[in-house]
Amino acid sequence: MTDILLNRFWGTYAVFYREILLYKKKVMRLGFVFYSISTPILYLMAFGLGLGSRISIPDYGAFLVQGIACMSSMTNSFNMVSISVSMGRLQSGAFQTVMTSPVSAASVMRGLVLSGIIRSMVSVISIMLAGALIFHTLPFDMMALMALVLNAAFFSCAGVMFGLVINDMEHHAVLTNFIIMPMSFFSGTFYPLNFLPDWLRGIVYLMPLSHTTTIVRHGSEALLSWILLIILTLVCFYAGSKMLEKYGE
Amino acid sequence: MMLKVDNLSKSFGRLKAVDDISFDIKKGEIFGLLGENGAGKTTTIKMLATLLRPDNGSIALNGEDVWRNRYLARQNMAIVSQEMNLEYELTVYEALHTYCLLRNKRNAKKEIENMLERLNIADKRNERTGALSGGQKRRVMTARALLSGAGMIFMDEPTIGLDPMIRREMWDIINSIKAEGRSILLTTHYTDEAEYLCGRVAIMEKGRIIHMNTPDSLINQAGTYALDINGTGQAKTMLFSDSLLLNDYLSVHNFEEYRVRRTKLEDVLISYGKSA
Repeated sequence: MTDILLNRFWGTYAVFYREILLYKKKVMRLGFVFYSISTPILYLMAFGLGLGSRISIPDYGAFLVQGIACMSSMTNSFNMVSISVSMGRLQSGAFQTVMTSPVSAASVMRGLVLSGIIRSMVSVISIMLAGALIFHTLPFDMMALMALVLNAAFFSCAGVMFGLVINDMEHHAVLTNFIIMPMSFFSGTFYPLNFLPDWLRGIVYLMPLSHTTTIVRHGSEALLSWILLIILTLVCFYAGSKMLEKYGE
Repeated sequence: MMLKVDNLSKSFGRLKAVDDISFDIKKGEIFGLLGENGAGKTTTIKMLATLLRPDNGSIALNGEDVWRNRYLARQNMAIVSQEMNLEYELTVYEALHTYCLLRNKRNAKKEIENMLERLNIADKRNERTGALSGGQKRRVMTARALLSGAGMIFMDEPTIGLDPMIRREMWDIINSIKAEGRSILLTTHYTDEAEYLCGRVAIMEKGRIIHMNTPDSLINQAGTYALDINGTGQAKTMLFSDSLLLNDYLSVHNFEEYRVRRTKLEDVLISYGKSA
């Protein structure tokens, strides 16, 4: 039993270590920094400094920092994991080394998701620092941080699934623009959900990111959002593990 | 018996990529799979390496069905792919180290250093794998397979695209793997490679194994004398099982330009291809 647990731990660690090593190699590239950190900070400055004083939300700076941290947690975990898996499958072929190793599908999934969480939290922390500098606010308690981690876990799971099914990188860009981009703008990132018309609000509540923004802003009061996000994460983790188990080339 | 394959089949839609093939590989044997493009070699290797689930048939490694416990089977098998499937951002050492971790080898530093020396890439230790030449990349991929400690290694065209000198060096490496008692399944388009390295070869055609034997036996079956005929508008090669038949044929036909030589495995492959 101890051996099995130890092997599972090592399998997870091996995948996690590999992903983080690859991440470290990319992190200092200009395009990567711009994409993962600079773009959200630009949003922060453009919306916060440009529109902040004209929007009738008390402490819009704090509201915006919370929203953009959620958005960044989503885009970074989803894109980095899905790109890592899909590029490894479709371009370098290096994902084969993971899938021919004796590491179980669940351990591969855990390693990929953990690496997605770390990758997304790096950008979230950058946004927190930028928010503290620009708006002199740090509107995140422990509950909000846990929600951001859960959000990253969910979108990492979705990223694994997405990375396993797409057939080319163009497919990746198209689906990202149709799924991730609308979620970024409609899920309470830049303005409260009650600003939206009723018919649209119903659709937006189906978007997982809107539950993350709700939790980050309302903490334990958003019990339903907590439950939904936890269930979605578990379901996606299970589905992703099953897809890895059935992985074929 | 290291690997036993029984009645293996795989279809993609209406195409039968692998059609009811059976063979076995003994411990310390290099077994070659030959055949033209699309014959089913890579599909076979992918099924053996648990990357593709067969439609029918069984694969047993050391007596254990590989699809019953894939993760256990993978501990004792490694694949050197046709594609250069390295993480190009990582250095050679990092690529090998991460591979060792995936193989549950936690303290492999010394083993990796020894492997780099053995495969003559120690000076490339800290270079990005993406910056290596084709031959060096192949060595890193082979180093990974060796570091796995697996007894069964699948090599899918391991010398494709390499220059003749580097190819010869890869042959020495492959022979040294055999000398360690490990088994190798090798697919190749180079018949001289199969002739030099393989104890037995199977010739695949449209997903089926049409012949399987030692290279010498296949040559003997097809005819040990090869007659190359030129000057008839089209060059062709004919195979003869003995010199009397060959001489009779030459005395009847008055060829202006011809050459008699020992049959090579390539001639056998071409003759089977024509008769199929």
